[in-house]
Amino acid sequence: MASIFGSDVHRLKADVAVIGGGTAGLNTALAAAEMGADVLVVDKAHIQRSGAIAGGIDHFFAYLETGPSWDTRDAYLGWVAKVARGAANLKIHEKVFCDELVPAMERTESMGVSLHQPDGSILRTQALGQPGPIAINFDGKFLKPKMAFAVKKKHIRTLNRVQVSNLYLHNGEFAGFAGYDIRNGDFYEIEAKAAVIATGNTNRMFKSQTGNPFNLWYCPANTGDLHRAAFDVGVELANVEYVRLTIVPKGFSAPGFNAFFGMGGKFVNGLGQQFMQNYHPMGDKAPRNMMVWGALQEVRAGRGPIYVDVRHLSAKDLTHLFSTLGIDKDTLPEFLRAKGYDREGTLIEMTVSEPMQARPSELCGSGIKIDETCASNVPGLFAAGDASDQMGCLHMCMAGGYAAGKHAARYAATVGHHRPLKAKALADERARVFAPLLRKTGLAAGEFETIVRIIATDHFGPYKSEISLTGAIAKLNGLDRYRDELKANNLHELMRCHEAMNIQSVAKIVAHAALARKESRFVPYHYRSDYPETDENCCGLVVVRKDGEAGIATRFERLHYDA
Amino acid sequence: MTAVIDKGKCNGCELCALYCPLDVIHMEDGIAVILYPEECWHCGACRQDCAHDAITFQFAPAMLGI
Repeated sequence: MASIFGSDVHRLKADVAVIGGGTAGLNTALAAAEMGADVLVVDKAHIQRSGAIAGGIDHFFAYLETGPSWDTRDAYLGWVAKVARGAANLKIHEKVFCDELVPAMERTESMGVSLHQPDGSILRTQALGQPGPIAINFDGKFLKPKMAFAVKKKHIRTLNRVQVSNLYLHNGEFAGFAGYDIRNGDFYEIEAKAAVIATGNTNRMFKSQTGNPFNLWYCPANTGDLHRAAFDVGVELANVEYVRLTIVPKGFSAPGFNAFFGMGGKFVNGLGQQFMQNYHPMGDKAPRNMMVWGALQEVRAGRGPIYVDVRHLSAKDLTHLFSTLGIDKDTLPEFLRAKGYDREGTLIEMTVSEPMQARPSELCGSGIKIDETCASNVPGLFAAGDASDQMGCLHMCMAGGYAAGKHAARYAATVGHHRPLKAKALADERARVFAPLLRKTGLAAGEFETIVRIIATDHFGPYKSEISLTGAIAKLNGLDRYRDELKANNLHELMRCHEAMNIQSVAKIVAHAALARKESRFVPYHYRSDYPETDENCCGLVVVRKDGEAGIATRFERLHYDA
Repeated sequence: MTAVIDKGKCNGCELCALYCPLDVIHMEDGIAVILYPEECWHCGACRQDCAHDAITFQFAPAMLGI
């Protein structure tokens, strides 16, 4: 059957569909296939190099039960309870991470990526408020391609370069989804008994430090496509009110924070003074949000810019630091050299990164609200990795992604027949998806997206109040009238049009969720200037769901901790 | 900010265009081309996958200058 644009329309079926083939998604696919399910992975990029660790990764958080009191499951969970309080559900954390940790580490090694150093030892460092040195430093430069190879070895079907555009239910249960190939325009209609959404967080929502929205810490291809689509079919989201920031090199929003401070770098201000002790008892090893908070306060007080001082490190440690930075971000060492930071006696200038819609801590997620089986509130729809409200970071995506695959496969086995997809809904979707290609004139996706970024940054990036959030919602709603004017000249631009609309939609959800949290938590990630204190009555999740055609409803779900 | 492809070294294997996570690299006349340089994430995947050292990185003035 030919599509209205001359490309083909494909109808596929699967037991378990995995949307998003990053770290979590590929672990999901492996698990579901090992359970005997017929699996289909759909990725907007290519699973070989898609997602947050496309170019590499250098650390894996794990307790190893080696003897010290900090190296136990209980100590780890104590850390989670402390630094992700109000966002991490410990019962879910135990199931999706702790119970899956050992096999996840074994799986990493079996893929041909060692968590050990060349001499066989395990190198561990401490930062980010950790109870001890629980960050395993390892060479994960080729972890993503090796993960993709493991998927290919199992003959798991994969659709690369397909952007999923909408999900469909039948009688309140998941039935399937639609999408299109961004390279050839083919349209896909996919029936699946279950789907696991693993498409990461939402980026490009806020202004970046150089003005280029692709110069980001997190993967700029993650644009909330499935947060928006899931929300539209009634899936609940949680932890989306948080606006995450980190510390990055000035000029290049690249990772490296954990390595800089884990290796003993000192965080200093424009006077050359260390300042973190003024903001947190752990000083330079404080949780990430407090490092950002400290930096913001120093700059605001006129003591900027901020730097990492590595002048005291030995030549051996410096060599290790620079090579580690290159594992996490392939191009970072040459950037630092181009700036002259390899010269002896040089301070490395840093800055607070762009804000992003993402988890408030390394130990939880932000997005689709999951239970202990990684299931959402819609039967048949599951989530894993950064796209879920309870998983994030490599360690949880490796472990929890696998858990999601097992549960989705078990669920799919209980579904007798694929639920039907409605022909009219699919025809309407095909027309909607390709509409920007048919317009002779119109608005470029980049222009629309820039407006969203200005609104989000001005109104909640990251400071916010009832007035600023209400204003943001009004402006973001006002942008709706331009959606039907978006114009694409080719399929690449068509993808960017849909991404821009999805970023706008998620920004509205973020603003509504932030409005409901009448306190401050994980400052500055959720800093309400009208409610600047943390309120123990608000220790839990703001859960967001669609209410009617245009409405957004919120409810509060309390989380409990022993201490 | 972008990856830069040396046309003289590119043998047209297509791996970089196949895998680029931001869809910025496409094939034109059998040679890989950076079609959307402003959308490069600098992840370095293309360079790692290139067997002919045809890819280098140039940092934009806004990255090096500030």
